Amino acid sequence: MAGAERRGGGIPETREHLFKVLVIGELGVGKTSIIKRYVHQLFSQHYRATIGVDFALKVLNWDTRTLVRLQLWDIAGQERFGNMTRVYYKEAVGAFVVFDVTRGSTFEAVSKWKHDLDSKVLLPNGTPIPAILLANKCDQKKESSQNPSPSQMNQFCKEGGFAGWFETSAKDNINIDEAARFLVENILANLKAFPNEENDVDKLKLDLNPLKAESKSQCC
Amino acid sequence: MADRLLSEFDVVVIGTGLPESIIAAACARSGQRVLHVDSRNYYGGNWASFSFSGLLSWIKENQEKADPCEENTAWQELILENEEGIPLNEGDQTIQNVEHFCYVSQDSTEDVEEAGALPRPSASTTSAFSTVSEETSAITEVESGCLPLDGETKSEETCPQSVTGSDPERTNDKEGTEVTSLEEKYCNSIMPDPSVSETGNNKSELITEAAAEPREITYPQIVKEGRRFNIDLISKLLYSRGLLIDLLIKSNVSRYAEFKNVTHILVFRDGKVEQVPCSRADIFNNKQLTMVEKRMLMRFLTFCLDFEQRHDEYQAQKDCKFSDYLKTQKLTPNLQHFILHSIAMVSEADCCTIDGLKATQKFLQCLGRYGNTPFLFPLYGQGEIPQCFCRMCAVFGGIYCLRHSIKCLVVDKELRRCKAIIDHFGQRINASYFVVEDSYLSEKICKNVSYRQISRAVLITDRSIQNESSDQQISILTVPPMEKGQPAVCLVELCSSAMTCMKNTYLVHLTCPSIQTAKEDLTHVVEQLFSVAETGEVGAREGEDEGEGQKPKVLWSVYFNMRDSSSVVRSSYDSLPSNVYVCSGPDSALGNDCAVKQAEAIFQEMFPNEEFCPPPPNPEDIIYDGDGTQPEDPGFSNPSEDKTENVSEKSLKEEPPEE
Repeated sequence: MAGAERRGGGIPETREHLFKVLVIGELGVGKTSIIKRYVHQLFSQHYRATIGVDFALKVLNWDTRTLVRLQLWDIAGQERFGNMTRVYYKEAVGAFVVFDVTRGSTFEAVSKWKHDLDSKVLLPNGTPIPAILLANKCDQKKESSQNPSPSQMNQFCKEGGFAGWFETSAKDNINIDEAARFLVENILANLKAFPNEENDVDKLKLDLNPLKAESKSQCC
Repeated sequence: MADRLLSEFDVVVIGTGLPESIIAAACARSGQRVLHVDSRNYYGGNWASFSFSGLLSWIKENQEKADPCEENTAWQELILENEEGIPLNEGDQTIQNVEHFCYVSQDSTEDVEEAGALPRPSASTTSAFSTVSEETSAITEVESGCLPLDGETKSEETCPQSVTGSDPERTNDKEGTEVTSLEEKYCNSIMPDPSVSETGNNKSELITEAAAEPREITYPQIVKEGRRFNIDLISKLLYSRGLLIDLLIKSNVSRYAEFKNVTHILVFRDGKVEQVPCSRADIFNNKQLTMVEKRMLMRFLTFCLDFEQRHDEYQAQKDCKFSDYLKTQKLTPNLQHFILHSIAMVSEADCCTIDGLKATQKFLQCLGRYGNTPFLFPLYGQGEIPQCFCRMCAVFGGIYCLRHSIKCLVVDKELRRCKAIIDHFGQRINASYFVVEDSYLSEKICKNVSYRQISRAVLITDRSIQNESSDQQISILTVPPMEKGQPAVCLVELCSSAMTCMKNTYLVHLTCPSIQTAKEDLTHVVEQLFSVAETGEVGAREGEDEGEGQKPKVLWSVYFNMRDSSSVVRSSYDSLPSNVYVCSGPDSALGNDCAVKQAEAIFQEMFPNEEFCPPPPNPEDIIYDGDGTQPEDPGFSNPSEDKTENVSEKSLKEEPPEE
């Protein structure tokens, strides 16, 4: 999944990457809204459980020579008791951990999610995948001394192993593109620092029309 | 992460093994509200795969389960007058005779001294041959034993990094808590290259260790790299034209998994491991076979492909033994052996001709679909497959609760139908259908049932049994019985690129139907194929090792028996109401057809008019920005979203499956 590189047809040196990115956090912090906003430029006031959808795809023209396809994996709303299957985590290369600034309990759960994340997936070189902390619903933030200050947040990210944090609002479209760009930068930097040694050549994906590898389908 | 469970569902599925997971996915897909629970803290039941530390705790659990926890009967008060409660099992009784052994140095200083030396059994290794409780203490010893090495307690990589992977919640035991705390440090530090970090923690020894052969694996290394392991409890492969592959593709659950080809079909004959030629190219390129043999084999295999059409050629011997039939087919003993054990993979003693021909045909038909052997193996282990179906179920609204035990089924006395379950919180959850994995059924319900057993061994070894081939291969080897009446042993060897073991090791699964305990059934095969350190005789062992340099060394092993309930028929559970459906654990066959058949049959019985696992809409095809005409949410939302959301009110069926 990480950095499936292809040379584009006629265009010289075009690189295409496919990145699996996880969006995790407590129930109702706005994970789905963030994805919808980012991918579909939509926002709905109404909370929606996430059903029937595995992931959303966002295609980014990163630069003239790089195309990035981001697969944003929502936790299926109902895997909410924290019992995520490994299928969800595996081969992810980046993550957003989301909390709701209006509900302190969702912030307290952030470390738990980060811990779960790091225990289930690592980059091929054994390091944790880059994770960005999103303080969502910042449009509804009440000014109170209870909210952590930016310097406290920086400290929290440093200690918790987050690559960075953003105050976001899916409703007002604040900082979502910025956060995604920052995450992709991190993913690309990782890719550069640790190029994919694994050769995926002999991995098989099943589909209806499997490659007729050995076209003689019979032995004789 | 937990909020309170709803108390109304259509289907409650208890157990997350393969058949249950397929049923859960199928039900959710067809719009049922599904609750899927497991009392264990991991997915898959006896279909699970574990990281190394996960397996260690599983071993511990299964060795300690002796005392049945005190009957908690509080739920009985929740049963009404016209109801009856059928209690479910608290503990799992499907695993027996668990024994594990460690043959490598458990002390990291030990092999550091002698670069390139064979790992010498230290004082603690000898305990490997004694009882299990001592063995577990040896493990703890290692953890604490390596601490003093570098002054500062628990500095990152020194201590065996136990894997946490699948079970961060496993903090109830002493070892677990320690592991978790270590792991936090581990996560925050940038982990250096494994080989470097292994040496780096013991500065004085750095140079000698670096010079050591990288192949010498120590126990702390295995523990530290533990999450690279995905060790299956049951060893299976996917036939490339088997029912499971068809189902994965049809339901598009295949998108969650990746596979590797099993590249080598091997045979064990006259003390040697040889490759079985099965495809046309293999036969032509084979150097062991004579020209005449090649022709014979081709002729016979061609015949098997469409043997039904050539009735007269086998009709007379239809009910004879397949092994006797082969003798009449102008095949050399060599070829007969190949066909019987490695292609048909049937029993010499009691397989009839017709079944042997069918098995050969099935093998041949699977060739070429995904490469030149008939088998695929899922990356990260067989345990991925149930989880893939669980993910699918969750995506379609299924609710998942692990570590959630169910105290009893509540049965309406008059209607003789199950109407609810009561969970360990005393919550009553109503549903119309109940699917239960049979290990949850109490002895009382199973009184008429007799089980078979499967003997299993899992070895971690240092090199492949096929020493001349390139090292990243998956192989299957059938070891014919040495004495009549014994079963053949199926051996599957996995390499690290199958994502089931750490670099420079191999994971070997042995499986056969049980006669005795797993150790008794399988030791002779292990000793024939592998070099197993002898207890106590250090000198002798080293000499022997030089002589047997060709054989892979066993670094660590576990043996256990698993219950095989696949042959139990539903009518054996006559006390269960008809809306309780029972799934069995894994069978001893190599493929997964049994589980898929069972799942489909149960689903069709529950919902005769529903399609079984139709393809879901492709996420990339779902259009979000249609015209927002939903009354309750004008302007903002989008049709597909609204429809999917309503699933809790059972409207998923309205959603076109977009085919």
